[in-house]
Amino acid sequence: MERLERDAILIRLIEALRKEGSWCGETHVQKATYFLQAMVDVPMGFEFILYKHGPFSFDLRDELAAMRADGLIALSVQNPSYGPSIVPDEATATALKNRYPKTLGQHEGSIAFVVKRLRDKPVVDLERLATAYFVSREIERSGDAHARAKRVNELKPHISVEEAFEAIQSVDSWDHEAKSLKQP
Amino acid sequence: MSKYAHEIRDPIHTFIHLDSDERAIVDSSPLQRLRHIHQLALSYLVYPGATHRRFEHSLGVMELAGRVFDVITKAENIRDESVRDLVRPHDSLRLLHWRRTLRIAALCHDVGHLPFSHAAEQELLPNGWDHERLTVKIIESLEGLLAKLEPPVRWLDIAKLAVGPKRCEKYAKAGDLPSNAVPFTDWESILAEVIIGDAFGVDRMDYLLRDSYHAGVVYGKFDHYRLIDTLRILPKAYEQESKEPALGVEEGGLHSAEALLLARFFMYTQVYFHPVRRIYDVHLKDFLSEWLKGRYLGDRFPTSVNEHLALTDNEVTAAVLQAARDGQCAGHEAARRIVERDHFHLVYQWNHDDAKTNAAATDAIHAAARDKFKAENVRRDSYPAKSIGVVFPVWTKDERVTSSFGLSEVLQRIPAAKFDLVFVRGGLEKEAREWLKRERTAIITAKAREETDGTARA
Repeated sequence: MERLERDAILIRLIEALRKEGSWCGETHVQKATYFLQAMVDVPMGFEFILYKHGPFSFDLRDELAAMRADGLIALSVQNPSYGPSIVPDEATATALKNRYPKTLGQHEGSIAFVVKRLRDKPVVDLERLATAYFVSREIERSGDAHARAKRVNELKPHISVEEAFEAIQSVDSWDHEAKSLKQP
Repeated sequence: MSKYAHEIRDPIHTFIHLDSDERAIVDSSPLQRLRHIHQLALSYLVYPGATHRRFEHSLGVMELAGRVFDVITKAENIRDESVRDLVRPHDSLRLLHWRRTLRIAALCHDVGHLPFSHAAEQELLPNGWDHERLTVKIIESLEGLLAKLEPPVRWLDIAKLAVGPKRCEKYAKAGDLPSNAVPFTDWESILAEVIIGDAFGVDRMDYLLRDSYHAGVVYGKFDHYRLIDTLRILPKAYEQESKEPALGVEEGGLHSAEALLLARFFMYTQVYFHPVRRIYDVHLKDFLSEWLKGRYLGDRFPTSVNEHLALTDNEVTAAVLQAARDGQCAGHEAARRIVERDHFHLVYQWNHDDAKTNAAATDAIHAAARDKFKAENVRRDSYPAKSIGVVFPVWTKDERVTSSFGLSEVLQRIPAAKFDLVFVRGGLEKEAREWLKRERTAIITAKAREETDGTARA
């Protein structure tokens, strides 16, 4: 997928998150993009690693910086005590989206799927859920939910085994639902 | 009796302090090679003073890494219980071990650089290679030396802190690192951030100060003493009470942090992105791609440690001078351009106005210029905006963690630096500029319409 096409999807994702009431800081965009790629297979090509508090893509961080430099998005202060929200620039973002109607149409359902599940989640929950999914997919693939929860806790001790187990149950159920979305 | 503590004079930090164990690493061939790698490639053709080398930069990064470590691990500088668990400030043996590991990682972070630093890396190394991967291999080759230190340090720890989690993940997948090297612990992530972090990495602090000093460009200066004194590990509590640790500052250091990020913006736009500096890099790349043919496997720079260590700017400079004089030599034309200062000239650069009309405006101009003036007479060089680290935690005077971005209007307004430049051969620039004046709007809008009509890669 080419850069501008990928940017159009990111803009659509950010718009959808914001419309559904998400505060939409960088962590929200990082974790939502992770689920978009890993759970519903939107091929954006970002490399995610298990970073301090969950899956994180340095490439995506750079891409957001590039989008900001290109005037596609801006950082907006809603409340000085909180981190900035990411806001698309209406004119430039619309122009870009208009170039990729097929791509956006093709992935609209996947974006809606992810946004519906993450829209009201605070950052701590997003970190936990995304970590649970990353460990299930990349690290402890064959383990049952208890084994995976234990592994999450070993790798990220700030998440208790109980919290990890709860997160794994959630992402397992989302993963099951996502399969129907992926079927032709 | 031999001396254990040593000092090296330095124009930026006055003294670099090191002990005999660290000096053994400094004296090793991978570090000594950096005396022959220019920090800013051919920038000295534009800024004659910018002839400094990676060697002194590496010493400076080690010095600053030690200073930052001492500040952020001091018990009285810890503001949050989750950070106290991470740092364990009273476990002095553990801290001594990590201080040494961090300083040696800082010292070694650039050992994989190719001749003339970044100038030719992407195109002229085999696929899947970059200078950081070479850095990891070279650090591994120092294993015997590192094991002799008292107490010994592990090469893998050094490599991890020197190149950071993103690259280690890649190299672990490629089999260069053991699979248990990743994921990083939070502690390892923070220490890697001390060296290569986006906002407060000491690599960046040193190169801004050092490059500005040598280039004679004052914009790169900032109060790094104050900044380092106020650095803290803080949870990113401004993100809905997240406990994720990150490097931040006390509120009293916010202006120094602003100055660092402004210095970065100015140095990028004034020095690192200078169009003449960039086009000399392109000519050097053109030369090297010819010079490497038949010399190494795959016509690319070698990736074996010994062959890499044998290549410095000196060998390449000698080859450029020779090729410039001899029309039969590989890369003669590019070498001649460098030596005779007959570089290509800038005709177009990315700008917001054109990008609003067509986000791929430079692609369109570049393609049209190649059609009009032939590919061999046109060159392009670009660098995308990267994360500019304007959002980090700040410990306020009323003892809260808040976001730098909300506190600082300066940070809200620092633009992200990027460039995308199109050049033509000398002698064509007048014609090219007139052509562009006439055709610019048509070229940019034609491309935009074409994509809208459904030829986008959807």
